[in-house]
Amino acid sequence: MKILFAGDDRPYSAYALKKVIDLARNTWADVTILGVAPTSASKDVDIPLPSNHALIQALHRYRREFNDELGQAGSPYAPERFSYEWKMVKFGLWEEMKVSRGARKDLKIRLRAGHPANEILNEAKKEGSDLIVLGCSKGSQCLWQDPADVPQTVVGNADCSVLLVKEDKPIKRIMACIEDSTVSQESLEMINQMATIHQARLELVGLTKDGAAKQVEYTKLIEVGDYFSDRGISVKNRLAEMKEFEAVIAKETDEDLLALWMGKKSLLSVLFPKDWMDRFLSTCQSSVLVLR
Amino acid sequence: MEMDNKTQILILDDEPIVCKRLKPALEKAGYVVETFTRSMEAMHRLTEKTFDLVITDLKMEGLDGMAFLTEVKKRTPGTEVIVITGFATMETARESYQKGVFDFIAKPFKLGEILDVVRKAEANRRQSQS
Repeated sequence: MKILFAGDDRPYSAYALKKVIDLARNTWADVTILGVAPTSASKDVDIPLPSNHALIQALHRYRREFNDELGQAGSPYAPERFSYEWKMVKFGLWEEMKVSRGARKDLKIRLRAGHPANEILNEAKKEGSDLIVLGCSKGSQCLWQDPADVPQTVVGNADCSVLLVKEDKPIKRIMACIEDSTVSQESLEMINQMATIHQARLELVGLTKDGAAKQVEYTKLIEVGDYFSDRGISVKNRLAEMKEFEAVIAKETDEDLLALWMGKKSLLSVLFPKDWMDRFLSTCQSSVLVLR
Repeated sequence: MEMDNKTQILILDDEPIVCKRLKPALEKAGYVVETFTRSMEAMHRLTEKTFDLVITDLKMEGLDGMAFLTEVKKRTPGTEVIVITGFATMETARESYQKGVFDFIAKPFKLGEILDVVRKAEANRRQSQS
């Protein structure tokens, strides 16, 4: 598994990093920590921001925290593999530097320059990430400091799954909403990992319209439930009326992870056109996993 | 004759979809691949043939992946084992490495990731043989 953690210098990013560390501790995923400098930063120097810039300081802090938790000798991330690699130190000037990499798994710290959401999406695509993790403000909105719509843009456009961390809360239940979008093998595997790591019970919610569920959706709910229970995951199925779903997640999600399959044919996008994703991300009081 | 030079890979995963996805990708990359969804059948095959690489899931009915990889390393220590698991925990990762696996990959993963690891394992095996 490859995890891309996109962080700025705000407290919500620090919370999200804790989730990344938890995931890495169990999955031994390759992890990239990414910061994005504003476009105004110069691209032709060794680093586009001064070393005392808040983002650079935050990236240092994230690396330190990650290594404090997982960088000890014997850990797959322990910096034990040394090699000499050519690195650009300034435009037109390269230096062969001694580089240490994780004993078995990589922790990369990267800085890009440009629009944060676009650069996060570009990095995820280039690295072949399986999961993007980012924090966002808690409460009734799900925002970044600058620009505010980074979480929505990343969730709406990523090719892979996205975990939005709102607060540093334990996850005791995964509430996964099944509707008429494709349930990929990768998304089932992601739920498996989340349920295993957090030892969380799984609740599958099938959506009904005017009290009725389509046969195909009901069948899918049963099939997905069987998939998890066959693998020893405690699973409970329930139905919820679409119109009431927003109220359900506002009322019920606390120490939970709301998982939404977001395909192009999502019924939610029909029922709640344009802004449905923003509404659910904002309504949910806990973290949200958008699956693909 | 040409087949003798190709790296032989055994894949064991109780989810047919995983075998179905991995087999063509690895064959396209030039490997000879046999897939199994039942650990006992894979174990029987090990008594007939030596594989260069084994890719195994951990959580399976019957003989689980940990017992399977233990048996592989006991039988043919030179075989590199790659663990793929949908239920990763610190303990299973640590135990896998203690048993000498080459790498531990949590699902989901992209085909490119497993191909990279297979190439590294193949290189490692060649290096240790030379």
